[in-house]
Amino acid sequence: MSVVIAEVAGTPEPPGGSPEVAGAKIAGRSPRALAWARLRRDKVALVSLGFVVFVVLVAIFAHPLSQLIGQSPYKPDRGPNGLSPSGIPVGPSTHHWLGTDDQGRDILSRLMFGAQVSMIVGLAATAIEIAVGVVVGLIAGFYGGKVDSFLSRFMDVVLSFPFLLTALAMSARFGNHLSITIGVIAFFSWSQPGRLVRGQVLALREREFVEAARSLGSSDLRIMFVDILPNLIAPVMVYGTLLIPVNIVAESTLSFLGLGVTIPKASWGQMLSDASGSGLYQVAWWFLVFPGLALLLTTLAFNLLGDGLRDALDPRFDRIGKG
Amino acid sequence: MSPRATAVEGVTSPRGAHSTSDDAFVRVEHAVKRFAIHGNQLFRRSKEAVHAVDDVSFTIRRGETLGLVGESGCGKSTLARLVTGLQPVTSGTVVFDGQEITRLSRAQLRAVRRDVQMIFQDPYGSLNPRRRVGSIIGDPYAIHDESRGDERKRKVQELMEVVGLNPEHYNRFPAEFSGGQRQRIGIARALALKPKLLVCDEPVSALDVSIQAQIINLLADLQHDFGLTYLFIAHDLSVVRQVSTRVAVMYLGKIVELADADELYERPRHPYTAALLSAAPIPDPDPARRRQRIVLRGDVPSPVSPPSGCRFHTRCPKARQDCVTVVPDLDAVTGSSAAHVAACLHPVVDGEDLGAAAAVIDQSDQAEIPALEAIEKITAGIARSVDDQGSRA
Amino acid sequence: MPLLAVEDLGVSFRTEDGVLHAVRELSFSLEAGATLGIVGESGSGKSVTAQTIMGLTRGASLQGRVLFEGRDLLTLPDRELRRVRGAQIAMIFQDPLSSLHPHYKVGWQIAEMVRAHTGLSRRQAHRRAADLLGLVGIPQPTRRVDDYPHQFSGGMRQRAMIAMALALDPRILVADEPTTALDVTIQAQIIELIGRLQREFDTALIMITHDLGVVAEIADDVLVMYAGRGVEQTDRESLFHAPHHPYTRGLIASIPTSAVRGERLKPIPGQPPSLIDLPSGCSFRPRCAFAFNRCENERPPLHPVGGNSSESAVAEHVSACWLPELEAGAPSRRSSA
Repeated sequence: MSVVIAEVAGTPEPPGGSPEVAGAKIAGRSPRALAWARLRRDKVALVSLGFVVFVVLVAIFAHPLSQLIGQSPYKPDRGPNGLSPSGIPVGPSTHHWLGTDDQGRDILSRLMFGAQVSMIVGLAATAIEIAVGVVVGLIAGFYGGKVDSFLSRFMDVVLSFPFLLTALAMSARFGNHLSITIGVIAFFSWSQPGRLVRGQVLALREREFVEAARSLGSSDLRIMFVDILPNLIAPVMVYGTLLIPVNIVAESTLSFLGLGVTIPKASWGQMLSDASGSGLYQVAWWFLVFPGLALLLTTLAFNLLGDGLRDALDPRFDRIGKG
Repeated sequence: MSPRATAVEGVTSPRGAHSTSDDAFVRVEHAVKRFAIHGNQLFRRSKEAVHAVDDVSFTIRRGETLGLVGESGCGKSTLARLVTGLQPVTSGTVVFDGQEITRLSRAQLRAVRRDVQMIFQDPYGSLNPRRRVGSIIGDPYAIHDESRGDERKRKVQELMEVVGLNPEHYNRFPAEFSGGQRQRIGIARALALKPKLLVCDEPVSALDVSIQAQIINLLADLQHDFGLTYLFIAHDLSVVRQVSTRVAVMYLGKIVELADADELYERPRHPYTAALLSAAPIPDPDPARRRQRIVLRGDVPSPVSPPSGCRFHTRCPKARQDCVTVVPDLDAVTGSSAAHVAACLHPVVDGEDLGAAAAVIDQSDQAEIPALEAIEKITAGIARSVDDQGSRA
Repeated sequence: MPLLAVEDLGVSFRTEDGVLHAVRELSFSLEAGATLGIVGESGSGKSVTAQTIMGLTRGASLQGRVLFEGRDLLTLPDRELRRVRGAQIAMIFQDPLSSLHPHYKVGWQIAEMVRAHTGLSRRQAHRRAADLLGLVGIPQPTRRVDDYPHQFSGGMRQRAMIAMALALDPRILVADEPTTALDVTIQAQIIELIGRLQREFDTALIMITHDLGVVAEIADDVLVMYAGRGVEQTDRESLFHAPHHPYTRGLIASIPTSAVRGERLKPIPGQPPSLIDLPSGCSFRPRCAFAFNRCENERPPLHPVGGNSSESAVAEHVSACWLPELEAGAPSRRSSA
């Protein structure tokens, strides 16, 4: 409905400015408060946020939690609760709530530790990508000209590297450390936020408040970080939220291929690899389904949260105050 | 001349005299600003250029308000940016308070920025929506490393009071203010470093009529209280007349007339000025109906390829043959005071009715009001076609 | 029966922060061939009124009636409304660049509209479009009819819009701030063009503007709107020479031409109210220098406050104010918020 106003009642009433629609009344509410209020009204986003928080908490407290339920992700349970006499994993039971894997290890605790890996990689890689992307995009967009041409072409080149082949090569060269995984993933994706930021900055630098800052004698660096950067927070935050699941899936992919986290450490992708590679999923559905569900639900939650964030932060709605 | 404009402490400006180099606070000489139009992006070869400002010279006296009017494409906004140093000149000089600013380095220009400030047109665009108002107004202090912490906050709140804002709204965001209030924020920001010259680029055009008056009053008060000099740019002639000491009229990059405000409005010498004044709607039913309106033909030409000779000749009601080839200088006009200059080969004489004038040259490629017969023909044609199809309602 | 009769029109939108009353209890009428000027600033509801008459606000909650030749446009089924729109009631907008489709030739757009309402062939409609462009004073119309909107200047585009609006000889032309985005000299051309064509086609005109000068030039009767309501309505002469409502008076007094050069202007203090949270009683009360007790408790309806000159189309001079009839004295002043 608000959009209707922006299009209908908000037909530019010039030379006047604000039709004082929400202006005087909503005095005292910062853009942040307004956005939060909008987010609170979005049930789907709230549920997704709850799920994300849940996953993060599980990841943080994976160790004490698994001790709580008396399981370990590494210790195989060779007894009858862990593996059947013929060596096939046992399904969900009172001993192992989500069943066991091919080694008899408890799936639930492995999922929790897998969440740890996913969150660490997802968040760390995203953080690096955003940091690098913002800096490069800011410089490219603000200065334009040759600087921009060079940086843009560079970003294009990075984007054109084939992910898997290069990841393979880099892992072969550098090994399977977690930080290598994070580095590899970040390397491939930083140019995405980079291009986004560059586009935003290109538009923002033409805004009158930037000209005003220049007229006050502000230096380029100051304009970039004090004037332009705050206007980037909203789109970057949304984009970042949508990048996290991409990175999580990337890590799962690498683990699936054996390039990421290795046995016996737990990772959702690696669990999926074990389940499908050994063919055990045909008899032990829980071995495939639970890691798969974990990945699916986490990815879904982040994506829905990102959508909700975008709707809450959408600058279009900011304009209701001015028609 | 407004008593307020001259009542600047300790400074008086002589009335109607030629400005000498002594009392010229700002002197612009033969300023040219050329923008290249890149024909081909890849190869960046500039085929054409726009002379947004084409050889403009004028002075601004200390303490006065120089009004600058013109329509779109005339170059007034560009000229404003040349005066403040926001845009470098292509050629020519700008001298501010005895110092030439056109050849300064960026660092040197920064120091000058304290003395020359700008107020922008768009109250919504000229404030960073993601920053708090206190931070926006305090920006000049931060940039020039003056005042910190509590002292800065105090100064900012003082400024807010001066411009009529509630100092308790220090932490609010621009979106929480109305258009008029935002403009006040912009003014407060401009005043922070105690500038001497304020360039106002259409400061009230985007505001409601009843709010415009508030801001105009505020600007007048500030000029009086702080001894400011204004370069006031607007397209609304009545606003410019109200605030200005002298007024300059621009057309397609050149100044075509410059005179004391009263004299310009009562006895314009350039046909364009006369047409501009006549075109502005008057909020009074009687003169509106009775006056002879000069309606120009055609659109404002594109600044990319301006007409030859006098640029106004394509629309001028009294254009003659020499107007096509000769570029007129900005000269004094017989019958007006010495300070009244116009760039016209055949200025308007007292008592002349431009509405009844006829151009001698060919201006046929211009939009015009259609003849009565043409209207009748089409009216009949439409009525016929609708009737032929019967009622479709 | 008047050509157009708006009765108690109310338009409100639901927003995140509450219900926004863009228009409230608005009533006015328009006779055939007459010109009504609607004056107001931002938030007055004048544009929403125009859009509602054209049926462009169907997403909002509407009250009241808009009677065109006796039929209520607000309840008309879509198919019928489409026949009225364009052919009987046409609209020109402020920004012709956004109302003309940028991807289609101007002539084609006009021709398509003509064909939608008449049985003309493509070639006939195209010729009609060229004729119309010539009618509105565009030079070389047979050539320009195949140009795109971006190839026209602002003034030309507005002329093209006018051509499209008048193509089917509508009974009412609604012009929503048609000259605000134009240069002053072009504005003069367009106003004169509209006035002249209106007289020739004998079209009724609703001219919506914030510019009192435009109203003084072209309107027979004037309706002043504030915060979604009509606050004063009378003929042009009475409005300027004997305004009643303090808002009208304040508006006229605040424009620079009313002042002596160099002296302070007389603005209306404060700013327009939020349309979600209107003040009790009279909406203008917080800014009114003449307000008294009754103004806060009872909202004044539009009622007659004095005689008009006989040539006016509106029956009487009405104003939504508790002040006695055209009292020019100095009633109690109070400090405005």
